[in-house]
Amino acid sequence: MDQNNSLPPFQGLPSPQGAMTPGITMFSPMISYGSGLTPQPVQNTNSLSILEEQQRQQQQQQQAQQPSAGLPGTSGQTPQLYHSQTGPVSTTTGLPGSTGLYSTSIGPMTPHTPATPASESSGIVPTLQNIVSTVNLGCKLDLKTIALRARNAEYNPKRFAAVIMRIREPRTTALIFSSGKMVCTGAKSEEESRLAARKYARVVQKLGFPAKFLDFKIQNMVGSCDVKFPIRLEGLVLTHQQFSSYEPELFPGLIYRMIKPRIVLLIFVSGKVVLTGAKVRAEIYEAFENIYPILKGFRKTT
Amino acid sequence: MSAAGLRCPGCGSSNIVDDDLYCQAQLVCVDCGSVVSEGTLADDPVGGTDVSYSRTTEVTRKPCLNLIKGLERVKEICRILRVSSEIEDLALTHFRQAYEHESFINVTLQRKELLAGCCVFVSCRQRDWPITLGTISCLLNADQTLVGGVYQNMMKILNIQAPFINVTDVIEAHVQEYKISTQHVPEELAEDSKVLSKRAVALVELAGDSWIVTGRKPLPIVMAATYLAWQSLNPNKHRLRLSLDKFCQLAKVQKRKPATTRITELKEVLCKLGRELPWVREPVTQNDVVRLVGDILEHRHTLLTRALRTHERAKEADCTQTFALNSLTEEVAPSQISESRDQTANASSVVQPCPNTRGENQEGDGDENHQSEDPEPNWGKRVLFAPPCVLHAKRRRVERPVQNVTGDEEISDSEIDSYIRSPQEVRDFAQMQKMASCSDSGKS
Repeated sequence: MDQNNSLPPFQGLPSPQGAMTPGITMFSPMISYGSGLTPQPVQNTNSLSILEEQQRQQQQQQQAQQPSAGLPGTSGQTPQLYHSQTGPVSTTTGLPGSTGLYSTSIGPMTPHTPATPASESSGIVPTLQNIVSTVNLGCKLDLKTIALRARNAEYNPKRFAAVIMRIREPRTTALIFSSGKMVCTGAKSEEESRLAARKYARVVQKLGFPAKFLDFKIQNMVGSCDVKFPIRLEGLVLTHQQFSSYEPELFPGLIYRMIKPRIVLLIFVSGKVVLTGAKVRAEIYEAFENIYPILKGFRKTT
Repeated sequence: MSAAGLRCPGCGSSNIVDDDLYCQAQLVCVDCGSVVSEGTLADDPVGGTDVSYSRTTEVTRKPCLNLIKGLERVKEICRILRVSSEIEDLALTHFRQAYEHESFINVTLQRKELLAGCCVFVSCRQRDWPITLGTISCLLNADQTLVGGVYQNMMKILNIQAPFINVTDVIEAHVQEYKISTQHVPEELAEDSKVLSKRAVALVELAGDSWIVTGRKPLPIVMAATYLAWQSLNPNKHRLRLSLDKFCQLAKVQKRKPATTRITELKEVLCKLGRELPWVREPVTQNDVVRLVGDILEHRHTLLTRALRTHERAKEADCTQTFALNSLTEEVAPSQISESRDQTANASSVVQPCPNTRGENQEGDGDENHQSEDPEPNWGKRVLFAPPCVLHAKRRRVERPVQNVTGDEEISDSEIDSYIRSPQEVRDFAQMQKMASCSDSGKS
């Protein structure tokens, strides 16, 4: 956190060399005001464009935040922070995982009241750990044939009615059902998940089925990060009762169900946070930026 | 009914009488005996009578037998725990509500009993009666994870919230279970439960401050605190020699496995504080810290501040040492920045100046020689107290770096072919499967 203060003040430079850590530039409110950044190309996921998602989110946020501008964190629903009201900044896609360049501000930029520079961002970017996606191969499959002729497949109809197939690169697992639908898990990014799903489809094609690649959709994304200080979970569950559930006898972490964005966070005493339930990467980042100031409030030294 | 005007289709006679055969009215011709018409059965309305069968045979609905038994079990548990009638009524309401739900109506009797226990548990929590899930599991004689599953299911169905119960509230009730008053054990081992619970509470509060409690199951900590409190109240050789196992046997409580680790962790914390006692000359070890527990707990706040200060001074000394080594090869500018940082850092007790100075130095000259430790030092080692899971962090396998993947790359044929069996392999595999299934059917 001290590193933030030592950085030179932002001048809206579009060049990435000015950035110390990508995280800071992503979520700094300063960067979005008339800096004239060119929007970065967005990775298309073939079903719901991330671009459309972003625009929709921005519109929602702009509509939602207009009436509550100037009221830090008083909304009953989410722990909204002052700087997180600058919606266009937090919903991003061009983040470290793919291009590593600046966030985009697509769409009309309504100038909100500028957030104070003191409301720093966390400087921590959650890393994605798992992506679950589905795709429809568009034809009925004979699972026995697939299990017989593929090296990397296992099929035990008594236990589970699908073939479990694995590939080495990207290291993922797929569940292939006889209806032709497939679930792909284990990838670390949206693009990897898509590539892996395409490889599975290609294997099925080579086995003689007329496989297509229809309706690829990311169903769930899991991210994790470390805030590097211990957290008083007992305090957190007392003040955020309606969102938190902490049962140390059952599970050592606190389960925080954020309403906006709709993400479930597992918060541990060590400071590690797991975020899950996202459909797009931006939701994970936004959820973490929402929770970080709350966690800082429960950081305690003995 | 008379059969005036009817003629028998068989013989044409008009001599037709009413004949009740098996309570069914029939019109029969006397002369030839043929049945002319069969009566009310044929006259029943289509689709059955107006009154349905179940309603005509209905008896007054009795509540389900298992529901009654379940409610009795709830009352039983409440009486064992000696809770107030308010809690009992609340538990009964919850049980009735949850029982009707589809997740609980068609389950095993064991699960229904667990539901009864969970209803009591949640009612106690809602009325601020301190109780742990461990106690309920013991009462129900069931596995705690099972009970936990039923509990969470029930909470979702009933859509209620239970306030969080503090560990310290549970201690007094827990300590009363221990049979170590003068009636049960010899004099040198006996202890009054009020005094014992008071000291145990102080120990648990200290444990809570030093990150031993958060995220852990509460009962092993309570057990560890009780054991240490008992030992320290009268640290004679009898008590000090008794292990946790023997202590639990003596007090007739069931030992909890994690309690041994908690004892070690608590003793470590006590050692760190014990070192700050001004009248202690020799070094404090785990073996002799028990004698000092009374003093430590009495002055624990002062000792805490002193320990933090000592720790910081030690860190600064460490820093200036390494800084002195580094500064031999550095320019002036970075050192000036780090000096001002040290000054600001002294004011607060939280910020650790060392890593930042090191970080600054690294960024300043980018000299690889100065990175003597690993790239991500464990932050837990730099503070006085840290959660044990941070201090003994698991070594994670090194994550492979995220490559720049677009998702639209070309997929090479050779790669896909590596996942497909050759025809020979397919034949071998099929043969093996056949042999395996033959031998299986041969056996069975």
